[in-house]
Amino acid sequence: MGNFAMMDVASIQAGLRAKEFTAREVAEDALARVAVADAQVHAFLETCPDLAFAAADRVDAAIAAGDLAKAGTLAGIPVAFKDNMNLVGTHTTCASHMLENYVSPYTATCVKRIIDQGGIPLGKLNMDEFAFGSSTENSAFGRTCNPWDLGRVPGGSSGGSAAAVAAGMCTMTLGSDTGGSIRQPGSFCGVVAVKPTYGVVSRYGVVAFGSSLDQVGPFTRNVRDAALSLNALAGRDVLDCTSQDVTTDFTAALDQDVKGMRIGVVREFMDAAGLTSEVKAKIQEALDKLEEAGAELVEVALPNVHAAISAYYVIAPCEAFSNLARFDSVRYGFCDEGHHDLGGQYEASRSGGFGVEARRRIMLGSYLLSSGVYTKYYYPAQQVRTLITQDYQKAFEQVDCIIAPAAPNVAFKFGEISDPATMYLSDMYTISINIAGNGGMSMPIGLGADSGMPVGAQIITPAFKDENMIRAAAALERIYGTAPIAPAFAEGGAC
Amino acid sequence: MKKLEEVLKDWEAVIGLEIHAELTTLNTKMFCGCKLEFGAAPNTHTCPVCLGMPGALPVPNKAAIESIVLAGLATNCDIEKHSMFYRKNYMYPDMAKNFQTTQGPVAFCMRGHLDLEVDGPAAKERGDLAGLEVGETRGNVTKTEDGYVAHVGITRIHMEEDAGKMVHVGGGEGRIAGATHSLVDYNRAGTPLIELVTEPELRTPEEARLFMQKLRQIYLAIGISDCSMEEGSMRCDGNISLRRRGATEFGTKTELKNMNSFKNLHDGLAYEICRQAEVLENGGYIRQETRHWDPSGKRTICMRVKETADDYRLFPEPDLAPYDLTDEWIDGVRAKLPELPDAKRDRFVATWNLPKADAADLAGDKESAAFFEECAAGLDDAQAKKVANLLLNDVSAYLKEKGLELGESQLAPSALAELAKLLADDVISSKQGKEVLTAMFEEGADPAAYVESHGMKQVSDTGALEAIVDAVIAENPGQVAKYKGGNTKVIGFFVGQCMKQTKGQGNPKLLNELLAKKLDEA
Repeated sequence: MGNFAMMDVASIQAGLRAKEFTAREVAEDALARVAVADAQVHAFLETCPDLAFAAADRVDAAIAAGDLAKAGTLAGIPVAFKDNMNLVGTHTTCASHMLENYVSPYTATCVKRIIDQGGIPLGKLNMDEFAFGSSTENSAFGRTCNPWDLGRVPGGSSGGSAAAVAAGMCTMTLGSDTGGSIRQPGSFCGVVAVKPTYGVVSRYGVVAFGSSLDQVGPFTRNVRDAALSLNALAGRDVLDCTSQDVTTDFTAALDQDVKGMRIGVVREFMDAAGLTSEVKAKIQEALDKLEEAGAELVEVALPNVHAAISAYYVIAPCEAFSNLARFDSVRYGFCDEGHHDLGGQYEASRSGGFGVEARRRIMLGSYLLSSGVYTKYYYPAQQVRTLITQDYQKAFEQVDCIIAPAAPNVAFKFGEISDPATMYLSDMYTISINIAGNGGMSMPIGLGADSGMPVGAQIITPAFKDENMIRAAAALERIYGTAPIAPAFAEGGAC
Repeated sequence: MKKLEEVLKDWEAVIGLEIHAELTTLNTKMFCGCKLEFGAAPNTHTCPVCLGMPGALPVPNKAAIESIVLAGLATNCDIEKHSMFYRKNYMYPDMAKNFQTTQGPVAFCMRGHLDLEVDGPAAKERGDLAGLEVGETRGNVTKTEDGYVAHVGITRIHMEEDAGKMVHVGGGEGRIAGATHSLVDYNRAGTPLIELVTEPELRTPEEARLFMQKLRQIYLAIGISDCSMEEGSMRCDGNISLRRRGATEFGTKTELKNMNSFKNLHDGLAYEICRQAEVLENGGYIRQETRHWDPSGKRTICMRVKETADDYRLFPEPDLAPYDLTDEWIDGVRAKLPELPDAKRDRFVATWNLPKADAADLAGDKESAAFFEECAAGLDDAQAKKVANLLLNDVSAYLKEKGLELGESQLAPSALAELAKLLADDVISSKQGKEVLTAMFEEGADPAAYVESHGMKQVSDTGALEAIVDAVIAENPGQVAKYKGGNTKVIGFFVGQCMKQTKGQGNPKLLNELLAKKLDEA
C-alpha cells in the first residue's frame, strides 16, 4: 500500500504526473486504509466507493490524455465530507436518527467544487447531531475518537473531519463551523483547520444550523493544501445569495514573509479564566517566535467580546429552531407512523428523531423567539452582535490578524464534560468570530506540556482578508513544521 | 335579521381588507427557478428549494420585487428603500420549510391609498352623509354630485410566498373532517404572492367591493397578475367590527374568509354586519373568530375561535440579505408604469366626451380600452359614443354568450368603427346594427358592404317619409281620435305602421318627429 491518504496534495500529484501510481490506486488504497484505521477512530459514517472510483477514473483519463492539470487542482486527492453536506447518492444524516435513511437528491456547492477539481470522495464524516456540540459525542451513530488518544474526544462538531485528516485517512476534508466547529476540533486533533469569512464559501446544500453563522472550510495537514482547498471553494454561488465574489489566489500568501506583519494580541483572551496553562504557554511561545521572525506584536482590545457566548446562545438556537422545523416527517426523514392526527405524528416523530441536544436547542429557540420574549433576548443579542463586529473592525485598523487560543484546553476525555453550559465554554475563543463574521483558523503549534496533546493557535483575520491568516499560518508552519499524523496512525504506528 | 340599510342607520361598520394576489404573470417562483403554471400534474414543478429539502437556500426572484414596487407605485404607496424578508414560523404540511418567507414591520410598499368613487345606488349604503354639501369633506369622505368619494388608506403591500395545496381524501367534498388521509401538491408552494392590507377605513360592503374591483383593475393594468378570484390567484379576507354611530372605540372584529367573487365579498360582509348587529342588539358579545362565508346557505359559519393571538415567532430571514433599492432603480420601475384606469377614464371623457360611467367601464378593462381606442381614433364624439355603447352592450353580450374573449373573436376594430359610423350617422337603425354586428362576428362581414347588399339603408329622406306618414294618418282616423283625446301613447302604433310601409328601413327618430308634428296638426 502506498498510504496515499497520508500524503499531501503536491506529493500525490507529483506521483500521478510521474505515473508512479494511478488515481484509481489512490482511491483503492485510501478506501482500504479507511477500512483499517477507521475501525479505531470511527470518523466515517459511510464510504462511497462507486463515486470514488468514478472520480478517480476521470483523473486517470485526464492523465492518459496527457493533461493532469485539466483534471483540476485537487486531482487525485482523497477527500471526505462532513455528513451535513449533500452529495447526490449518499446518505446525508447529520448524524441524526431523523435523517438516518435520507439520501441526497442533489450535491452541495462546496462538495461539487472539490469534486470538480478532481478530489476523490471517499465518504461522509461523523459529527455532533446537526452540528450541535463540541465533542462529536452527540452523534446518533456513535462517537469518533481522537487519533492522538482514543480515550479523548476529537472535538466537534466536525470531529469526524478533523480525526480523518489527523489519522491519515484523507488528505483533505470539509467541515462546517457555526461557533467553532472547524477550529476547535482542528486544535484538538492537531490539523490545519480553516473557517473562512462568512460569505467566502457557498452554504448551498449544507444542512443549515445557524444560517447567519455557518461557514464551510477545509481540514488539511499543511497550509498549502488548505490554500488550494480555499481556492477551489471560494467565490460567488448563484444558489446562495449570501455568498460573495472572491477571486483571491490564497496560495500567493504562502511565501510572503511574516516580517512587518502586525499581529494582534488580545488581553481579554490571554487572561481569561478557564484557559489552561499548557495552552497559554504554547500560544505565548508561538507569539514570541513570530516576533523573532519579524512580526510586530500589538495589543488590541475587544471590550465587548465577553458577551459573545450569550449572544450566540440566543441567535444560534433561534435560527436552528426555524431551520430544523422542516424535519417534520411529512416529506422525508424519520416518521413515527400510525397516528390519527397531524399533531400526534409531529410530536412523536420529532421526539423520536431528534437527540437530546437538538431538542434542547429547538425548545430554546422556540422560547426565545416567542412573543414578549423576542424583544428581551433576540433584539439585544443582535445589538451585541453589532458591537462585537465593531470591536473587530476597530482592532483590525491596527493589525493584520489576531492570534489567540483556538480552545481553552486540549482534547478532553470522553464523558469528562457532561454539563451543557460547561461544554458551551469550549467555544469561548471561536464564537465571537462567527458573531462578527470574520475568518479564523486553527494552526497546530506542537503539543501541550502537561497532556502531550495537540494545541492549536487561532489566527483571526479581518472580513474577506482570509489571505492574512494563510500568511501567518505559513510562518507558523515554517517554525513548527506541517501537522503530523497522529503517531499511532503514522507509518510504522500501531494502527 | 334586520336589513343592511336599517342596521347601518344605528351602527357604523368598520371593515379592513387583506388582499392576496399571486404574481401569475412571472415565469418562475419566488425563491427558486421552478415554473409557475396553474393546473400542472401534482408536484411536477418542484425542486429542493420549494420542497424544503435539507440544505437548500432561497434566491429571490428580482422580477417579483419589480412587480410589487409597480403595485405600490400604482396605489400611491411610499416605496421603502430598505426592507427585508422575515420568517413566519408555523408548522403545517403545505409549507415545506414550516416557515413562510414574508416581510417584517417594513414592507416594500407602505402608506398608500385609493380613492373610491361611490355613485348612484351604491352610495345609499352609506348612512352618515346627511347634511353634507357637494364638495364638503367629513372624515375620509367627500360628497359629490352623484354620491361621494372615499379616501381609503393602504397600510402596506408586502412580498411573500404562497403555500402548497392540501387535498383531503376520504371525507366529504375534500374536507378535512372525516378524511382518511391528506395529499400535498407543492406546485403552488413558493409562488410569489403580494398581500395588501387596508386601513380599517371601509364602511360599507359596497365600498369593500369597489375597493377590490378597483385594485383588480389596477393589477390587471400593470400586468402583475391574472387576478382570477375563481382560481384563487386573487383572494380577499375581511375584518369586520361594529360600533354605535358616534362611538370612537373599535368593537371586537371577526375575520371573514371565502369571498371569492365580488358578489360574495359584498354579500358576505353584508350578512356578517347584520349578524353582528343582531348579536349586539340582543345583548350578546362578538367573539374574535374566523368565519367562513357560505354562499349557498347565505350565511357565515364559525371556523375557529381565536382565544390568543397566533405566535408566528417572526424574525429576520438570515438566508436573504436586506434589500437596498436605489432611487434610480425605483425611477426605472416608475417609468414602466402604464396609464392607470382612472387616468384613462378621464382621458376618454376629455377626448370623446363619453359618459363617465361608460368611460370607467372601458378603462377598467385593459383589452376593451385598447380596442376602444383603436376604433375611436379619428371618430367624432357621437361616433365614439356608439363604439363605447357597442362594446359595453352588444359586443360584450355576444362574447359572454359564446364564452369568448374579445381577442379571440374575428371582430376588427376598423370594422366596429365603421359600424359605429353607420349608426351615428343614422344610415341604419340600431336594430339593423345588431344584425350587422352578428354577421361581422360570424361571417367576418364588412359592415358597409353588408348594409348595401342587404338593402338595409335606413330611409332618412324627409320627403319620402312625409308621404308615408300622411298616408298612415289618413288611413287610421280612429287612432288619430284617440291621440287627440290625449292618449299620446298611440304614437307607437303609427310608428309601427310607418315602419311596415318602409319595410323597417325608416329612420325611427325622424318618423317620431314627423308623426308628432303631423298628428298635432291633424
